[in-house]
Amino acid sequence: MEKIKDERLQLKNLKNIRITFIVQTLGIMGVLLYDLINHGMDGMTDNPVWFVFIMTGVVNAYLSMTISVEHEKTKGSPVKRLYIALGIITLISLLFVTFIALTNGYNVMDGLLVGGIVFVCSVIPAFYMYGLRQKEREE
Amino acid sequence: MENKVKVARVSYDLTQQELAERVGVTRQTISLIEKGRYNPTLKLCLEICYAVNKTLDEVFWQERKE
Repeated sequence: MEKIKDERLQLKNLKNIRITFIVQTLGIMGVLLYDLINHGMDGMTDNPVWFVFIMTGVVNAYLSMTISVEHEKTKGSPVKRLYIALGIITLISLLFVTFIALTNGYNVMDGLLVGGIVFVCSVIPAFYMYGLRQKEREE
Repeated sequence: MENKVKVARVSYDLTQQELAERVGVTRQTISLIEKGRYNPTLKLCLEICYAVNKTLDEVFWQERKE
């Protein structure tokens, strides 16, 4: 197949891919819903399609961040905003640790594990946003 | 977007197909640009201008509509 050089056709191709993506996502959601109804929550999350669905969501979220950063109206210092984000993330993680440790049937280790996961999963996007804001400033 | 691509092309004695080949797009794209139904990128505008030996102003400029 010949490589498309016409910009109009390239744009049309991208729009077609968008439609394909919507159809594919609806299909995946249908499969997951079927699993949820017939095999419950565990049955749904055991399906490899669930992993694909979550991975797509994560990739989409990271790609959206590049747009959100450029769309931001408040243009404060990236370092200051990183410190604020880190403060909030630490506070939320500590709340997770505390509430899970105090819940019946769970101990402090469980709390630290969940709090740690929440912390790591939130810190990575915070640093990514910081990097994007720095890059945007340089441009 | 209105433009003078058709006038420029005809004055340079080119067919839509010939212009399309010179700028590296399909004939349909040239047709849609001439009809004002497709807005080309600045890069393609420049390519068209180079092909018909005119400036951007001459081919694409239009006064602001009130």
